[in-house]
Parts: sequence; C-alpha cells; structure tokens
Amino acid sequence: MKNNKIFLIGNPNSGKTSLFNAITGERLHVGNWPGVTVQKIEGVIRSPEKCTVLTDLPGTYSLSPATPEEKVVLESIDEASKGKILNVVDISNFERNLLLTTQLVELGLKPILSLNCYDLFTKNGGSINLQRFAALTQLNAYPTVARTGTGVNALIDCLISEEKEPSICKNPSSLDFSEKWKTVLIKCAKSFNIDWAEASPLKKHEILSKFISTSDNNLSEELIKIRNDFAQEISEESKRTIKPTNLACELAMDRYSRIEKLLAATATVPEKNLPKWQEKLDSLLTHRIMGLPMFLALMIFIFWTTFSLGEPPMGWIESGIDFLANFAESKLSEGLLSDLIINGIIHGVGGVLVFVPNILILFFWIALLEDSGYMSRAAFMMDRLMKAIGLQGRAFIPMIMGLGCNVPAIMATRIIDSKFQRFLTILLIPLVSCAARLPVLVLLCGTFFPNNPSLWMFLLFSVNIAVILLLGHFSNVIFKAVENSPFLLEMPPYRLPTFKSVLDTLKEKAWHFIEKAGTVILAGTIIIWVLSSFPRDIPLSFDYENEKTLIMSVNDETERQKALESLDSKRELEYMENRYMAKLGKAIHPIMEPLGFTWRETVSLIPGFLAKESVVSTLTVLYLPFSSDLGEAMTKSGITPLSAFVFMLFTLLYIPCLATFGVMWRESGSLKFTVSSLFIYFIIAYLASFIALKVGELMQTADGIALENILIVICSIIAAWYLINITISSISGKMCNSCSACSGCPSKTENCKGGCHK
Amino acid sequence: MVRTTICLADLPEGHTATIRDIDVDSPTAQRLLDLGFIPGTKIRAIKKAPMGDPTTFEIRGYQMGLRRSESELIDIEIKPNEKQ
Repeated sequence: MKNNKIFLIGNPNSGKTSLFNAITGERLHVGNWPGVTVQKIEGVIRSPEKCTVLTDLPGTYSLSPATPEEKVVLESIDEASKGKILNVVDISNFERNLLLTTQLVELGLKPILSLNCYDLFTKNGGSINLQRFAALTQLNAYPTVARTGTGVNALIDCLISEEKEPSICKNPSSLDFSEKWKTVLIKCAKSFNIDWAEASPLKKHEILSKFISTSDNNLSEELIKIRNDFAQEISEESKRTIKPTNLACELAMDRYSRIEKLLAATATVPEKNLPKWQEKLDSLLTHRIMGLPMFLALMIFIFWTTFSLGEPPMGWIESGIDFLANFAESKLSEGLLSDLIINGIIHGVGGVLVFVPNILILFFWIALLEDSGYMSRAAFMMDRLMKAIGLQGRAFIPMIMGLGCNVPAIMATRIIDSKFQRFLTILLIPLVSCAARLPVLVLLCGTFFPNNPSLWMFLLFSVNIAVILLLGHFSNVIFKAVENSPFLLEMPPYRLPTFKSVLDTLKEKAWHFIEKAGTVILAGTIIIWVLSSFPRDIPLSFDYENEKTLIMSVNDETERQKALESLDSKRELEYMENRYMAKLGKAIHPIMEPLGFTWRETVSLIPGFLAKESVVSTLTVLYLPFSSDLGEAMTKSGITPLSAFVFMLFTLLYIPCLATFGVMWRESGSLKFTVSSLFIYFIIAYLASFIALKVGELMQTADGIALENILIVICSIIAAWYLINITISSISGKMCNSCSACSGCPSKTENCKGGCHK
Repeated sequence: MVRTTICLADLPEGHTATIRDIDVDSPTAQRLLDLGFIPGTKIRAIKKAPMGDPTTFEIRGYQMGLRRSESELIDIEIKPNEKQ
C-alpha cells in the first residue's frame, strides 16, 4: 500500500468540514499542529491499492496570515506542494473564494478544485461552463454538494488516481500573474539571489509579501528601486498616481480583475448568495427591536432543555454507577483494591459519563444553530454587548451555558473562530457560577445568615460578575497589542441542517469528551482518592471495636443506634484528620490564614477541587467535635458571619472543579495555559476574599453596617476602576491599536506603531 | 457632479456607495483587500445590529459584518445616482 498526502484548504464556511466527512471513511486523529494549539484533523481515504491521508487545514480567507490558524495554512504550503492540494471553493460565493485559489496558482501550485454548494449556485440562477473553466485555469474542477455527498465520488476518484498529477503548472493559468507582475517578481527574487521559477511556494510568498509591504523599512535599496520603478510603470499605464507603499492594494485589484475576467468568460454568477426571502428572514431575525427578545427566548429554551432534559439520563447514569458500585462491593472482599475500584475508578468513570447528556443536548442545538446559519446572526446581535468584556458575539452562548455547567460551556467555545477570543472565553467561563455551586452557596448562606440568605447570595453574585468584567477587561487591554486579528463576521445563507451532519457533530463531541477530558477527570479522581484514603494504618486514640461491643450490650434499641452512630462518625473524623489530605491542608494553612480560615476550612477546599459539593460534606465531618449541625458547629468554634462570607466568596471563585480543569486542558490543548489559569483564579479568589475581609472589618468597627459606608466603598471601587483604566491606557498607548484611519490622523506619534490617538 | 467622500462606518443603512480607498497602514487592511474590499467596488450597508454595532455590508454578492473599527478604515464615495 502506498501512502499519499492530500491537504484540504479553503475559506471558512465553504463546507470544508462537511466535505472532509464525506470523503474520509475514518478519522485518523485529532491533534495539534506542533508549536501552536490549532486543531489538526486527519482522515484516510481507503481504496484497494493504497491509503491516502487527508489533512484538514484550518479555514482561511487568504494566504496572508492574520491569525495563528491561518499561519498554519501558510506554513503547510511547502509540504502540501509535494502532495496534492484540494481547494474547496464555495461556488455560491464564487469571486471571493477564488481569491485563495488565485494565490495558490500564483505560488505555482495546482490545486484540485471542489466547487462546493453547487446546488445553491444553480438554484440561485448560476451556471458554469466547466470545460472552459478547466481549460482557462488549467485546474481540475469538480462540482460537489458536500452536505448530501453529490459529486464526491468523482472527486475521490481524481484524488486517488495513480496518474502523477504535476503539482507545478505547465501552461499559464488565467489566474496566474500577468506578465507585468511576473517580470517584476523575477527581478525581485533576483535581488534576494533566488530564482523565482525554482523557489519553493513559501519562499515565493515571502518575496511577494516583501515586494508589496506597506513601508520601505527593512527593505534593501535594490528592492526599493524595483518597487518605485514598478509603481511608476503602472501609474503611467493606469493614469493614476500609485505609491510604492500601496502595491498591496494594486495587487488585490489585479487579482480580482483576473477573477472577474475568468468568471465573465466561463460562468453566469448570481448577483447575491442570499435570495430575497432570506434577506426578509434576516431582517426579521435580526430586527432592531424584535431580534434580541427572540434570541433570548431561544437561549432560555436551549438552556432549559440542556439542563432539565439532561437530568433524567444523568440520574440513570448515577443510579447505574451506584448499582455497579454495590455490585462490586458485594463481590469484592473489603480492602484496598475494592476501595480503589469502587471509590476511585467506578465513581471516577461515573463522574465523566454524567456530563455526556448535557454535552449531547447542548451540541445538538449548537449544531442546528451553526448549520442553519443562525449562529452568525446571533453573534452579530450580541457582539456589542460582549465587546464590553473584550469578547466577541459568538462568546455569548458559551458564557450563558456556563451558568448551567462549565464543562459543556467550555466545549461550546469551539464555535469561536479566533484563537485569542476562544482562550479568553475559556479563561472566563470557570468564573461563571455553575448550577453545582448553587447548592453549596444556598447551604452556606442559609447556615450563616438565616435571616436573609438571599441578600447575601445576591452580594456574592455581584462580586462574581464584577470579577468577570474586570478580568475580561484587563486581559483584553493587556493582550490587545499582541493579538490584533480583525473582526469579520460572515453572514452565510440559511440552510436546512442535515440529520447526518448533526449526528456527526454529536458523535465527535461525545467521543472527544470521553476520550480526552475523561482521562484527566478519572486520573484526578484517583489522586484525590489516594489523598483521602492514605495512609491506611492510623493509630486510633482508643479501641473502637472494644467500645462497640460495650455498646452492643446496651439493651435499649434507639440508644444503641445513637451511640453506634456517634462512635462511627468519631472514628471517621479521626481517620480524616490523619490522612494526607488533612496533612496537605494543614501544610498550606499558613497561606490561607490571612483570610481568617481555620485549618478545617482549608482542608475542606482540597476535595472541593473534585466537586464543590464536597466542601460541605468535608466540613461537616471536620466540625463534628463541636456539633453535628454544621452551622451551629461553626458558630460554636468562633467563626463570625464575616469570615463565613469570605469563605463562601473564596469557594465560589478559587478553582474550577476537576472536570472543568480537564476540559480546559483538552480544549485549549495547552497545559501551560490551564495551569496558569488555575493560578489566576486562585489569586483572584484570594484578593477578592482579602478585600472583602478588610472591608467587612472596617464596616464592623463602625457600628454595624451603615449606608454611607457602603456608598464610600462603591465610590472608591469606581474611582479605582477609573484610575486603573487611565494607567493602563497611558502605558499601552491605548487607542493606538484599535484605532483606524491612521494615515490621515493629525496626532500620529512616533511611539505608537502605525497608530494614532483619536 | 457632486461627490461626497465619507468613511464606510458612516454609510446609512440601505445605502449603496463605491469604495474609494483603504487605509493600508492598518494591519487589518490586507485582510479587507483579500476579501474584495478594493477601490471601485460597490458596497451596500444592509443593517446595523440592535446595539448599533457591528454593521452588515453586502459586497461582491456576499454579506460580511464589520465592526466600526474595521469599517472606519474604508473610504467611500456616494455618487448621486446610487443614493438608494
């Protein structure tokens, strides 16, 4: 069997993924490109003679890279030139999709074209003379409808055909550079001592981007002269003044004129890709007044179905796991192994599977929204709001889903196309208080503030929202200079989602979660289990078994039960105090002391990493010596409502649960990012709690909580916010990065790179 | 003939104009050029989002949403015969 490589390249939204699914019989793997955390998907085309590997490159509008994803495409070009390139062209958006093809041809490549969405093209009144098109472009072109699989077989035959398709053009293609440009580029290459005809595609791209760069900086004198001469030459020809720094614009115009000429000669292209009725639908769905309420109603519906329809299957999974645990318990003799299997592995697996119903339901809706084209409209409407925390419109759905559960929410960030935006959304989601944290807060608030728990809950949530706003705002200001990818939101035509594509998404998501995040969650569960059940031999303070037999001799049934129960819990407490977990908690306790935490609270935070609910159950055991009622016990041990509030705030913010951690790691593909995020959460929780403690102390010394004190606090927070903003903008020279109309700006300064103050 | 030059961000909803120039100094410009936002191309502002930003534009037969920060990079001219 021979192994061949084919690279799939095309615009975002051109149906690349559908075509990939239609072509490949099986998915080889999903991984990352080395160095960057951009997903790499490979699949195989099986045929009797050989096995062809198809690599799906990230979607890109052009070869001049604006985002890390697009850089990957450019860097893969050299490798791709050795194999075959399959260029997916959305024919319903012909002109723009051909730009990428033009760029490939210019670099001397000979991609096989898949004219995708052919059904839409003909339905809108388009037609194309394929023979003429192939003759003029010197490219093989196959009309396809990836969603239904029409035309895919002919394409596959071409892809796997043995005939050695020369990747390098022999005859000039009508999409290639005109003589004028070719001559100047050969000259240009010579100034670098490179032969244009022999250069690799990547090298050619490098020379070309140098040639059309927008400033003369870093260019050799010879190259500057070539640029000036060429600008003058085309100025004379077109009778316009063209500056050498404006060659990029000239090239774009030249490319589009080639495309227009080609299309005029070979095809009738519909005037627009959105039919009239879709424009009407658009104006209804994104209506100024009606659009948002409709979207919000849809969101509430999706939220409700995801988390309430998901509940029964979650219950089945839980009872299934319990049944399995009981079964294992009855079959295995009591000991270390059975403890590991039951409490470590079985419950760990249960902890993974329990998320699957939510993920499936949420992704069912997301697949529908995405496939139908409504997602872009929703992003369009929400963009302005999300911009306030430095995100884009598409981040709205994941953030809202975070209120239900952070795990599917982080997986939903897949819908965000920019890497920076996706990472920022992943960073912010764990701070959104999920449904599992609610019972913890309800319990704690009810325990410590029996008079008006809801008021305190409201306060906690307000702090939470403020933290999200602050973190989003600052990350954006700090990293804006690094990442400056343009905001582009294409409005694709509405389409009816196909059953198959939705099913494919669901299968992929569920499997991806179990395989990738599941392993992390399982491993974490076992680690926590080890911490909480070792060392095994703990010297007990007195002989419990002896005591037990003594109690057994008591005649009264209820009294005996009571005594046994209290004895058992006493023993459990003694065990817990001596396990590694308690030791670890005691070891890190000095760090937590400034927040007013006792060692018991510190210890309870460790199992809280597994699931926040465990904080309460651990506390209950640890506070047994004071009272069996947690609230009473904590009050007895001298914990004030203030320190209880600080503890709740810390619990809310400090670290996401293990499952969230696993998903963050796997979705970002970067352990560094995930671990540093954990530190960020910890620091934020620590700072917020510390501030809350100090503010609370201040207010307590001033005879209870007076209204003016609250006002002073609010005012100082606003003032601090304002001051920090000013500082940051003065340091980073804000308004330079996002500002436009640079060249014409009167106050353009030296130190703001290419920007101005507006 | 009266010609008015404004930036794309100020094109009222529903109006058509012709692109005159693009600010090539901005890093976003190359991307806009590649997408077909080149001098001489007709462009129509379709609608603003409910909160005023972004705006969708129709160009070369497809629709693209741009934020104000991007559409400010594009200079347009409205010829009298293409007001609507």
